[in-house]
Formats: sequence, structure tokens, C-alpha cells
Amino acid sequence: MRKKINEHIISIMVDNEPGVLARVVGLFSGRGYNIESLSVSEVDSDKFLSRVTIVTSGTKIIVDQIKAQLLKLIPVHNLVDLTEEEYFIGKELVLVKLSNKKQYRKKTLDIANKFNACILSDSEVEMILEMSGNKKEISKFISKLRPFGIIEITRSGLVSMASGVDYIKK
Amino acid sequence: MIKKYTGAELVIESLISENVKIIFGYPGGAVLPIYDELFKQNKIRHILVRHEQAAVHAAEGYARSTGKVGVVLVTSGPGATNTVTGLADAMMDSIPVVCISGQVPTHMIGNDAFQEADIVGITRPCTKHNYLVKDVNKLQQVIHEGFFIASNGRPGPVLIDIPKDIQTFKAPVKEKSLFKKPILYRSKDINQDSSLNQFVEMLQKTKKPIVYIGGGVINSGISASKQLYKFLKYTHFPCTQTLMGLGSYPTDDYQFLGMLGMHGTYEANLAMHQSDLMICIGARFDDRITGKVSGFSPKSKKVHIDIDASSFNKSVNVDLTIKGDIAKVLTKLNIILEKKGFKFKKENYQAWYNKIEKWKKKDCLNFKNSKKIIKPQYALQRLNELTKKFSPFFTTEVGQHQMWAAQYLSFNKPKHWMTSGGLGTMGYGLPAAMGVQIAHPRSLVIDVAGEASILMNIQEMSTLSQYRLPVKIFILNNHYMGMVRQWQELLHGNRLSESYMDSLPDFVKLAESFGALGLRATKPNELDGMIEEMIKVKKPVIFDVWVDQKENCFPMIPSGSTHDQMLLGPDDEVDENNSEEGMVLV
Repeated sequence: MRKKINEHIISIMVDNEPGVLARVVGLFSGRGYNIESLSVSEVDSDKFLSRVTIVTSGTKIIVDQIKAQLLKLIPVHNLVDLTEEEYFIGKELVLVKLSNKKQYRKKTLDIANKFNACILSDSEVEMILEMSGNKKEISKFISKLRPFGIIEITRSGLVSMASGVDYIKK
Repeated sequence: MIKKYTGAELVIESLISENVKIIFGYPGGAVLPIYDELFKQNKIRHILVRHEQAAVHAAEGYARSTGKVGVVLVTSGPGATNTVTGLADAMMDSIPVVCISGQVPTHMIGNDAFQEADIVGITRPCTKHNYLVKDVNKLQQVIHEGFFIASNGRPGPVLIDIPKDIQTFKAPVKEKSLFKKPILYRSKDINQDSSLNQFVEMLQKTKKPIVYIGGGVINSGISASKQLYKFLKYTHFPCTQTLMGLGSYPTDDYQFLGMLGMHGTYEANLAMHQSDLMICIGARFDDRITGKVSGFSPKSKKVHIDIDASSFNKSVNVDLTIKGDIAKVLTKLNIILEKKGFKFKKENYQAWYNKIEKWKKKDCLNFKNSKKIIKPQYALQRLNELTKKFSPFFTTEVGQHQMWAAQYLSFNKPKHWMTSGGLGTMGYGLPAAMGVQIAHPRSLVIDVAGEASILMNIQEMSTLSQYRLPVKIFILNNHYMGMVRQWQELLHGNRLSESYMDSLPDFVKLAESFGALGLRATKPNELDGMIEEMIKVKKPVIFDVWVDQKENCFPMIPSGSTHDQMLLGPDDEVDENNSEEGMVLV
């Protein structure tokens, strides 16, 4: 009997102290759970709180176990499984550096326009585009640009929140 | 002006306000300031071990037999890394331990300084929580928090790493009352009423109940055992206990069916397999208990009571979970049962008990005794018989002797049985016995050992001698790593790869060299007299009992099998399909 494996977005509020990320990530690697994407940054500089967003996948039993194990970590204040909320938004950010060749310029700008990307740098040799969206949109954006001389790409992990009240504050 | 204290003084101050009486430790460069403060006071007694691993096991023995937090003090680098096995052991068995380690000065951290190790990084997965203290003003908060975390919720080990410069910097002393609880413990108890009511309903419907009791009952304290006794006497349900749970319900009582699991009794495992309601109290469905999970107790409704939510549905799916401290949950449950006047008539379970009685008749712990050669089971039966009246504390090492001890000794009181269950640490028993003896100086403390395990921490004989601790070491000596050999016989074509113990010491002379008494028995008729002598002598004893080399530990559920596929003796064979599957399991 195969059980259904689903993607889950878990948002965790933690004390911003040294080693806290190692605790969270170590829990995943030590117990053999997946991390598909990870992002972390301080969100409250008065209370020294950071928010970690982890995209993971597994059967319900595994994901419940992940959440229960995370809640046992001392610096973890609270967590919310956004995929269980009625409506949530998830965004990633990508930066793409292209060689600014004349013959591609118009097509490149058309694509940027279509995907609502902004131009961060535009010189004679290179152009840097910034775009945010979900995983699919970003992948599509990159593949559209692919024929026009991409020099390098960097993309962030997912950040996400549910609409409505502050689920993570308790 | 407010008086300021050094970090080292604050450590001692905090330990005193945590009511610490005993520390197990070993000094070194990076903890010298704390050792200097220890020297200047007389409220805390320091026990000098001979290896830091033993310090943690001793603290575990102390903690497990008293219910208090065990405290360890070691230096940086090798001192700290030597504690890792002990901390992992305490983590697996949920034993409250606080380990304070010295660290190189803050400005040298990360420079590969002499005796530097990233112990906070190393112990992160094998402690409940750990700290590196970088500010002397936070030192006291961290120590109090550490003690709180170690002993609240599901207990476990906490490591506090203190750099040497922090031990010498000064800060004002703070009252313990000012300390803040960690956020995890600030929330209130969840409402258990609806799940308790559901539970009570299930209790009334069952015809074939089994109560499966684990070490959590012991961690929850004496009152948990009392409430459990009340519950079982009220309902007449039969029960079984895990290795860690032994003693939480008297094992001589008729409702107790014996330990369950891989080397559990026939009746306990079959009762688990055929029951219609399994009540798991403070246990965690460990692989040594369940055997093959897909065939584990297929027909039962399962209820799980535990303080740790991550234990629920981890390896076995259950129908009802009740989160909370076992003593409190059982107290509530007993009140509900009494108030509502539920009657559990013994006759309701007569058919079930009749079935159990049939299984009991198999007499699965029976063995062929001999007049010429000492059977290990017989040696333990005699030990049990002759020591019972002293209500002794037993510790064990790990292997066949440990399983025989669990099967053939009586455990009628909680906190009298110390064994390494989860991690299976050879070398646990002697230092743990040391910790127990420190906590209970006048009691009889016996380490049931194997000749292989005992050599893993044999240096602690020196500690026993220094503090005149009359620990009795009862070695079932079969010249083999018996459990390894048993698996090689069953699953690896009898190829006894590296499991013979060659060049063993003369344990009698070894004992004498440490100022202890050495005894040796090679024939069954020598046992009684020597056991009595061992009890009488007021100093440490090594009793080397030469037992049948070929004896194996039965009953056994081979890895990859289910509860109804037990081997009852050496003539039973492992099912071939299961043996292949079992070979890759542990």
C-alpha cells in the first residue's frame, strides 16, 4: 500500500540565536527528512525572532512527525503548516544576469515585461533582471531567457504566508 | 556597590540553589577555575571518575535511582567528547542529566586551540538541548534553564559549554526565582477530558485488554506507579512491561505477564498479538517491542498515553492519543472511573485469562538445568532468591546477560532497575551502579555483567575502591560476546566472526589489584555460598561466574518477524523468508 506523498510548506518562528538553523536543519538530515527549499531571516529585531520557511514532502505520518519534532526544539516558538490553511501565497525571487547583446535586447525586454521582471542593472555588457513568483513561473521565466545568453542565475528559497490572521503568533 | 562573582563562583552558586549534592567529573585545563571553586566549598561532593563516559553513566544511575538530575563536570576537547556516548544513552532512555563542560577561551574558539572541540555541534543531536555560554551575565539563567529542561517534560540530557574566560569574568549573582522558563514550557496543559471520556468508553467494551507499560511511568515518579497499580487492580487487566518499564508494576504479581518484545515471554507477546485493546502507557513502540510493524497486534484498538507528542504515530498508528504526564493522566482516569462507578468484573475477562493461562503453560522461560555446569539462568534465579529480601538495585551491561537479568530477576519497586535500553551501551552497568551506590550508600547494588561488557569500563574499579563503594559485579562469564554469537548462529551461518573473547583477565586477581574481593564459581553447587559471601562483604566484589558457553537467550522474536513467530528454544528454526529480511535489520 503506497501512501500519498504531498508537498508541505512549514513556517517556523524561532529565537534568532547562534546555532538555531543548525538545530532545525540537523533535525531534518539526522532523521532523514527532505528539505526542498529553505529560507530564513530575522523578522522581529526587538524580540530577536527569525522566521524559517521550509518546503518538505512526505506522507501525513512523516509530516506530522516532522512538526512534532520541530516543536520539541527549545528555540522554536511556534510553527504553521501553510499547506493546511485555506489560502496562502508563496513567492521565490530570482536574479538573472544576461550578456547585453544588441540583437537579443528587444526580445529580452519583451520577456521581462511579460513576467513583470525589473531591470536592476543595464550596462553595455550585461543586464541583470529580478523577478519574483512561484516555482513554476520562475522556471518558465528562466527557460524563456535561456536562448538569449544567460551568464548566471541565483534564486532564493520560498517565503510564504497564509491570508487572514497571524497564524504563527500565539 | 553590588558584589560581583566570577563565572566559576556563579556555577557553584547555581548548582547549590538547584540542590545539587553530587557531581561526577574529571578535571582538566579548561575547567580549572570551577574545580578551584569546588575545592573551596563543602556543600557539593565531587566523585572523581576514571573516564568521562563513566561520569555520565554514573550520573544516569544516580538520576534513575533517585528521580533527581544527575550532574557531570568535564574539561574541553577529549573530556567533552568522551561524554558523547553517555549523553546519547541518556537521550535514548530519557534520563535527566546536566553536563557542564569547559571550553577554550572565547577569543580562541574556532582557532583549533589545544583541547578544543566543537562539543555543542557534536552533541546537538544527542542532547535535549545544549548551550555555549558567551556572556557571564547569562550564565545563571542558562544553568537554571538547563536543569529545568533536563527534568521537565520528557527528561533528557543537557550540555552547558562554558569557555574558560567566562569562568573568570565577573557578574552579580541573581536569585533563582528571577529565572524565566523556556517558551516551550509556558503553555498550559491541553484539555484531556474528551479523550479521557473516549478512553473510558473503550475500556468498557474490551474483552481482551493488554496494558503495555514503559519507562515513562518510572520517569513520571512514584505516584505514577501507585496510580497504575490502582488502575490495574480496579480493572483486572493483564499487563506487560518493556525493558525500561520493569519495576513500575510489581513483576511478581499475577496480572503481570512478563516482559514483552524480542526476548519477552510467550504469553506477553501473544497477548499483545491477539488483544482487542492495547493501552500503551509511557512507551514508544520501539523496534525491539513491535518486531515487524506490519504484523504488530493487528486486531487491537490502540491507546497511547505519553508526555511527548512526537512519540505518537511514529512507528505504529494508534486510535487514541492522550498527551500528558502519566501520573496526572492516570490520577484523572482513576477519579473518573470511581466517580462514575464503572465496575470491571473479573469474570468479563475470564475467557481472556484462560487463553493467557494456556500460553503460560508453555513455560517459555524454562531451561534444562545441569548439575555439572552453571546455567546463566540458574545463576540469576539463585541471585534473585538470595538477594530479594534486601530489595537490591540492579544495573546491567548489554547483551545476553542483560536479557536474562530482565527475564529472571524480580522487580517489585520502581527505580531499582538501571539498564541501557535504547542505545544498548556496553560498559553502562558498572559506572551506573557506582552512581546508584553513591545515592544509596547502605543498599545492595549489583551490576549483572558479561565478561565482554565489563571490560569496557573496568577502570571504574579504581573509583569504587577510592570511595569505598561496595558495588557487587556479577559476571556471567561465557567467554563469548554471547548476543553477537547468538545472531551469528541464527542468521549468519554459524560463522563466529570475532565474537570469542580471547585473553580475558583473571577477574579474581583483577579484583584484588583494585582492593576488591574476587570470587569465582565454576560449579552450580558453589553458587549459593559465594553469593552469600558477596552480599556480606562490605567492599566491592567481582564475582566471576563461569557459565555454560553454549547457552542462548530464549524466547526470541528474530528481526523481521511478528509476535506469533517466536523461537522458544534452540531447536526452533528461523523462517527462511524472515531470516533474509531480518539480516538487514538490527
